[in-house]
Amino acid sequence: MKKYAYLNINNRIVFFVLFSLSNAGKADLLPEEIQFHGFLSQGFFHSSDNNVFGQSDDGISPGLTEIGLNAAYQPFDRLRFAAQGLYRRAGDIDPGSVRLDFGLADLTLFNYKSGRIGIRGGRIKIPFGLYNETRDVSFTHPTILLPQGIYFDRSRSLLLSADGGSFYAEQDTRYGDFSFKFNVGMPLKDHREIQSIILGRGDAKGELEGEPAIATQLMYEINGGEYIFAVSYMDLELDYRPAAGEAILPSTTRIQPLLFSAQYNGEKFTLTGEYNYRWNTFGAFAPGGKFITESWYVQGSYQFLPQFQATVRYDVIYVDKSDKRGDGAAALGYQRHSSFANDWVFGVRWDISPSWMVRADYHRVHGTAWLSQADNNPDTRPTTQDWDLYGLQLSFKF
Amino acid sequence: MIIAFATYSPVLRAAEIIVNQTVPTERYSLMDARAVFTMRQRFWPNGEQIKVFCLSDTNPLHKDFVKNNLNMFPHQLRRAWDRMTYSGTGAVPVQLDSEQEMINEIANTPNSIGYLNSRPDNEKIRLFKYQ
Repeated sequence: MKKYAYLNINNRIVFFVLFSLSNAGKADLLPEEIQFHGFLSQGFFHSSDNNVFGQSDDGISPGLTEIGLNAAYQPFDRLRFAAQGLYRRAGDIDPGSVRLDFGLADLTLFNYKSGRIGIRGGRIKIPFGLYNETRDVSFTHPTILLPQGIYFDRSRSLLLSADGGSFYAEQDTRYGDFSFKFNVGMPLKDHREIQSIILGRGDAKGELEGEPAIATQLMYEINGGEYIFAVSYMDLELDYRPAAGEAILPSTTRIQPLLFSAQYNGEKFTLTGEYNYRWNTFGAFAPGGKFITESWYVQGSYQFLPQFQATVRYDVIYVDKSDKRGDGAAALGYQRHSSFANDWVFGVRWDISPSWMVRADYHRVHGTAWLSQADNNPDTRPTTQDWDLYGLQLSFKF
Repeated sequence: MIIAFATYSPVLRAAEIIVNQTVPTERYSLMDARAVFTMRQRFWPNGEQIKVFCLSDTNPLHKDFVKNNLNMFPHQLRRAWDRMTYSGTGAVPVQLDSEQEMINEIANTPNSIGYLNSRPDNEKIRLFKYQ
C-alpha cells in the first residue's frame, strides 16, 4: 500500500513537470533549436489465470507505468543531439526505475536532393520490426500489449537500446522511399529475466554478460507509408559466467532473429503482418543446443468513428518450431504449454484528442510461452494453459 | 482563435502550400513536398535548413492539406513524426494554433514552409509550386 502511495506522488510530480514543459514549449520560452516531447501511460490488467505485470490473477494489477521525457538540440545544421529518460514500473520484472532510453549525437555526413547518409553514436534505439524503436510509446501502436511472440516484454532489455554506433542511409525514389540502418552496440545490462529463461532456472548465481550485438534494418515505404515493407535482423550473444563453485557450466548463447514486416495503411483500414524466424544456440542450456523459434501475427485495425479504432489480432509463437506440442518441455519436467502461445486479441482505442488516448484490450490466450517468470514462478505455482487477459490504459503525450 | 475556426468551412479543395520569400524557386515535385513534410528532406536546394510549420492533427485545414495536397492520410504523417520524435532520430514540424499564427511565422521565418486555406496578401509569402 505504502509503495503505491509513494508511486502516486511520484507520478503527480512527473505529471506537473510534463505539463509545465509542454506549456514552456508553446509559450516560446525555449529557443527554437531545442525541442521537448514526452509521454505518460498507466495500464491496468486483470486475468482469469496467470499473472501479467504483477498480481493480475483474480485481481487488478496497476502493473504498467511508463513516463518518458525527451529533448533534442540542434546546434548546427548537420549535428543534432537527442536524449530520452524513461521511468518504468512493470509487475515484478521491473519494480520501478529510471534510465536513459536513448542519448545520442547524430551527424549528417552527406545530404543531397533525394536522400542522406549519416552516423549516430551513443545510446541508440534498436530498429526491429515496425514498432520496436517506439515500443514504450503507447500512441505508436494499436493495442496495449505489442504482439508478444515478437516484441517480448519479458526479454525487453535485449531489444530496447544499445550503447554503440549506427550508420544510416535514406534514399527517396519515384518508386518509394528506402531507409537503411546498421547498428553495433552493447545491449543494456539487465538480464535477470533472460537469465532465468535461458538457464531454465531462477536460482543461478553467476552472471550473464552481453557481447556487442548487431541490429540492422531495411525499410521500404510506398506513397509516404501507405505500404511499408521491412526486413530486420539481429545477432545477439550472451555469455554465462558461473559463480565460484556453481554446478552450472559456462556457456555461450546466441540469438539471431530475422523479421519480415508488411503493413498497409489506408484511410480507415490498416492491415499488418510480421513473421519472425529466430535461430537459437543455447550451448549447454538446451538439449541438442540449437532450435528455431517461429512467431508471426496478422493484425487488422479499422477506424469506425473519427476518434475510435478497433483492432483484431492473431499472434502465434512456437518456442521450438519442430516441437509444437511441447514434448521437449515435458521431457524436462516443464509444462507443455510453456512452449507455445496462440493469442487472439480484440482492442478498442479512443483518441480523445491528439494528446490523450484511452484503450481497452481483451486477450484469449492458449499457451504461456511469453509469460514472464518473475511474475509467474513455475516452481511454486503451475501456470494455466487457457486464460483470459483484460487490459485498460490511459495515455498522454506532447 | 475560436472565431477563426468558426468562420472556416471545410470544402473539398486543396489548401495552398506557402513558403517564405527566401525559399529558392525551383521545379519541385509532389515527392519533394512529401519529403519536406515527412521531414525526410531537411535542406532547400541552396543548402539552407527547412523550417516546417503545421497545424494540429485534428484541424480541418491540416486534414484537407494532408489528403489533397500531399495525397496522404494524417495518421501516416503522425506515424513518421512520432517515430522520429520518440526514437531520437529526427526533428518534427513546429505546431501552430491558428492560420493567423501561420501567416506570421511564414512571413517572419526565413526558409520556412507551411500551408493556408487561401493565398495571403503578404509580400514576404509566396506560393510553393510543385508538379
